[in-house]
Amino acid sequence: MCALDAKYEAYLSQHGLTASEFTPMELLACAVARELTDGAFAFVGTGLPLLAATLAKKTTAPSLTIILEAGTFDPEIADLPISVADPRAAFNAATLGTLADAFGTIAARGYCTLGVLGAAECDMYGNLNSTAIGNPLPAGISPTGRGPDVRLTGSGGANSIAALADKIVVMMVHEKRRFPPRVSYLTTVAGRRGPAGESRFDYGLFRGGELKVITDLCTLKPDPVTGILVLDEVFPGVTPEEVRENTGWDLDISHARPFRPPSEEELRVLRLEVDPHRFYLGRTRKGRR
Amino acid sequence: MANEDLTSKVMTAAEAVRRFIRPGTHIAFGGFAVLRRPMTIAREIVRQGIGDLFVTMNGGTTVEEMLAGAGLIKWLETTYLGMEGGMPVAYAVRLAIEQGEIELVEDYSNWSFALRTVAARYGLPFMPCLGDLGSDLITHDTFGRAGLRGRDEKGRWRHPGIPPRKYAVIDDPFEGWGLRPRDYRSGPDTCANKSNAYRQADSLPTAYTGKPGVKVALVPPLLPEVTVVRAQRVALDGTVRIEGLLGPDVDQSLAGRILIVECERICPPEELRAVPEHNQIPGHFVSAIVEQPFGGYPTAVPNYYDYDYEWFREYGQAVRGRTLAEVHEYWHEQVATTRDDWDYLLNRVGLKRLAALRADPRHHYNPELSRFK
Repeated sequence: MCALDAKYEAYLSQHGLTASEFTPMELLACAVARELTDGAFAFVGTGLPLLAATLAKKTTAPSLTIILEAGTFDPEIADLPISVADPRAAFNAATLGTLADAFGTIAARGYCTLGVLGAAECDMYGNLNSTAIGNPLPAGISPTGRGPDVRLTGSGGANSIAALADKIVVMMVHEKRRFPPRVSYLTTVAGRRGPAGESRFDYGLFRGGELKVITDLCTLKPDPVTGILVLDEVFPGVTPEEVRENTGWDLDISHARPFRPPSEEELRVLRLEVDPHRFYLGRTRKGRR
Repeated sequence: MANEDLTSKVMTAAEAVRRFIRPGTHIAFGGFAVLRRPMTIAREIVRQGIGDLFVTMNGGTTVEEMLAGAGLIKWLETTYLGMEGGMPVAYAVRLAIEQGEIELVEDYSNWSFALRTVAARYGLPFMPCLGDLGSDLITHDTFGRAGLRGRDEKGRWRHPGIPPRKYAVIDDPFEGWGLRPRDYRSGPDTCANKSNAYRQADSLPTAYTGKPGVKVALVPPLLPEVTVVRAQRVALDGTVRIEGLLGPDVDQSLAGRILIVECERICPPEELRAVPEHNQIPGHFVSAIVEQPFGGYPTAVPNYYDYDYEWFREYGQAVRGRTLAEVHEYWHEQVATTRDDWDYLLNRVGLKRLAALRADPRHHYNPELSRFK
């Protein structure tokens, strides 16, 4: 047994893992990493998207360029950052700019081919809500005299990234309430937006439309004709019917295919090189209630 | 000017807040998330209890969480309300919005908001933006519905900090000629993006303007009364040098009427003027200089100290599940009862804890910082 194997063996036994089995977080990281193609200029947030980008760089996409929306171009991730503005996200970067630079100099100028986003709601056309659930009006103008039922973060960079990227990857927790037919507040146009006459280009969004939604159950992609999300790949142990039951519209599952599970090599790199302390991989699935 | 009093803008945080910030002041705080936030001035606002604030922000939320936690924000113009350290949405801000203590909230995206500061910085009447189109950011106009936009019967602006419109969508008079990717005479564009639907379109969109065209969302300048920024160094003559990531700063700092700069150290002008290309703001734009080492705590100031991850974690545990009144009590006890920022830093935080955050010159942060326990 060589030294590296011994190190990996020790890691596996320390964390109660095996070389071929994987946790839900590891599966998600691998699924997102596979969407990050070599040569892409990817706007990623911290947490799982950055893990996936680092995994892709170390495996299938060595020339991937990582961009953080606070203004950082091509950093080296020596210690995992907790925020896009964490000084760890700026280490050995090519340039550090301003917010206007991130979306102007980098994205609008033509160096944002891909973005990874999350949201509280995703509808059948890939519209995202990260602003408010229910009535979005603040108390001062709301007929109820109260603010929204649940106030969320707001757009941040999501709206801008989805306006300027060629392709968007959305990460979601797969629950029916998070996949309504229409979002209650349209923060971000990540996909087609609506039927003919209501599409993203009908409102002047001149880039993008390519979309992949990755949940803890499956992956979804827009039907090439209608733009409505349909079931693409199903994760191990999940049935297409189960996905449909957890989706808020009549999900087309007729083209479902099995997801190729993470390989032992992907898992080894993810565990030993990307998140060796399992800062993020050790977490349980986020947001599931 | 040999006799110029170079110390005239130097003052304590207490004096800067007394002089420039009043109930209802329209104010923007610099920095971004866990980076270089002007906590010294923000904490002094909590000590003096100045409320009804109109806070405008591009990427928070440590300052805004404290101000909302102390019950001091009335209107909020925002792009992002996330907090770090296991708190997806800033807790007190969220409660204050849901329960109506923050009465009005106006949403933009990071980019459209940044362009508002760019317009202001350059003294321009608006900037064009290619985002926000097709979203509810454009259709939801809180200040408009609250009757705060435009002019009153005497022809004066109803609120000098609120533009007459949230956006104006126009058709690009240059017909999308400059949008990337495009073709040059010598060949196709070299940029990485491939999609530009205007190049293949049979017909142009008609949304917003009612006629076919290349849609552009114009955003008005951001013109707060006061902007506050934290820099590593400020010279006695007001010259500002920020190190590391800039985030919304510089553009936003130059957007307002009064600029308060707080810093780790005040230095002689020669120290910064020897390499002027590394400076961002001339002293002429600065109204007040406040020196407070460690005053960015608990956020990070690159090359000086890291953020205090444990503070963010402990704060989450302290407030989670609490009522807004209980959160007000927390901030009163933590900050309002301190004399000044040294009192806060030494007696609420402690020198040992501060010293453990010191940054390493190669990383610009502290690679030994314990996190994710």
